[in-house]
Amino acid sequence: MREPIVIDNLSKYYNRFLALDNLSLRIGENENVGLLGPNGAGKSTTLKILCGLLRPSSGAAYIDGINVVEKPEQALSRIGTIVETPGFYPFLTPEETLSYLGRLRGMRGDGLRHRIKEVIRLVRLEEWTTIKIEKFSRGMKQRLALAQALLHDPPVLILDEPALGLDPRGVVEFREIIEGVGKEKTVFFASHQLVEVTQICKKVAIIDRGRLLAYDDIAQLERKYQSLERAYLELTGGSL
Amino acid sequence: MSESERLRVVICYEFLKHLRRKRLYWILGVVIVAELAVLIGLPALGEGYPDNIMMMAAMLSIGPSLATIGAVFFAGDAIAGEFESKTGYILFPNPVRRTTLVMGKYLACCAAVILLILLGYGIVCISLLAIYGHIPIETAKSFGLCLLFAGSVLSVTFFFSSVSKGAMGATVITLVFIMVISGVIDGVLTMASQPSWFLLSKAGDAVVTVYGGYEAFLPGGTPHDMPPGMLEAPDISLCSLAMAIYLMACFLLSIWITKRRQLA
Repeated sequence: MREPIVIDNLSKYYNRFLALDNLSLRIGENENVGLLGPNGAGKSTTLKILCGLLRPSSGAAYIDGINVVEKPEQALSRIGTIVETPGFYPFLTPEETLSYLGRLRGMRGDGLRHRIKEVIRLVRLEEWTTIKIEKFSRGMKQRLALAQALLHDPPVLILDEPALGLDPRGVVEFREIIEGVGKEKTVFFASHQLVEVTQICKKVAIIDRGRLLAYDDIAQLERKYQSLERAYLELTGGSL
Repeated sequence: MSESERLRVVICYEFLKHLRRKRLYWILGVVIVAELAVLIGLPALGEGYPDNIMMMAAMLSIGPSLATIGAVFFAGDAIAGEFESKTGYILFPNPVRRTTLVMGKYLACCAAVILLILLGYGIVCISLLAIYGHIPIETAKSFGLCLLFAGSVLSVTFFFSSVSKGAMGATVITLVFIMVISGVIDGVLTMASQPSWFLLSKAGDAVVTVYGGYEAFLPGGTPHDMPPGMLEAPDISLCSLAMAIYLMACFLLSIWITKRRQLA
């Protein structure tokens, strides 16, 4: 089985603080995997290393077999990302922003214009395409973030708290979009929302203090711990 | 897709960002007001325009200040802003080298600053032509030096932007470095009759002193109590060398630091 995401003994220190402690994880093709853990568990650090935003202190991360640290440009060409609530250039419109990012990824002409319209429609920002982003709410920026992650139709999606800032309708719409595109993509996403994770993913990885505590099918964990919530709380040392 | 194509894309959209910002138009306004102040102020105060065209050209030359303000305001947030405003979260996970991103941003800032400098020198040329009927060749030298000065100030700003947490910090540090620190050291060295060509503030002076030494512009001749070093015009070749070194060294450093910088 192909493994588009491989995390191999990854450790990361922030000065003397150990954020990731020999974390290893393998995600198969078209698998949707949720990354769960309390605040400061190392979820964002893991995803940022996969996106080439952070360098690991030791270990390696691979996208489609390409080392993210050694060949970042090649590895990054295969992923679409949302990291936290990203900032956007306030003086550009969504159309210009997507055009900029699309062209950086080698898209151009009618193909790019058509795809921009498609993703804008998907995230329901049709009426805002020519409005400067400085006027956007946090939720709208999050929708645009999803649009830019899907723009180049990447085989791998890496999403860090992607529904942050969305209203309840936005959360449902987002979930439907990810469920839809996730059938043909490998999705690795960090979230605090267990409900969201169970609706999108079949598998979860639970980490705490940079260590992998469990990596299994949700159904297996539910059988073993009665529910995913109980599994999460027991594994991360919380009480019920 | 080649890196040169990506570079073109970065330049294009970074320049578009500058065109959309109000600060470009504010600085363009300042250029026009400053030049008009000289052109209208002199006759309005009864002084009239000087007979010496070089003196008039020097008075109209706001190039160094313009280059400094333009460069600092356009480039202060070029790198620091990506980290501070989290725009790096959408820009950096693209398959493009950070070297290309920094180069593209630098060249886009250059284009914006050149726009300002062109306007400034355009006004100088039209004014000199209207008042004196010709433009001295020194204006071309001054223009060339001003471009080099702008390039070096941009590089210094990029360097501070690459090490700063915030855009405002980078802007302030660069202004303090060029206008205060470099200026004070320049003053001390000049008073002590020591060479100061390696300072960026002195290099900036060369943009104006191509029209003649300081003494040429002092009304009533040279004061006797002034130290000799104070009136020496900076050596243009040495100043050009200094500017080229600042340009290359700070630019390469900013690329190196940005490549290593992490977005936590």
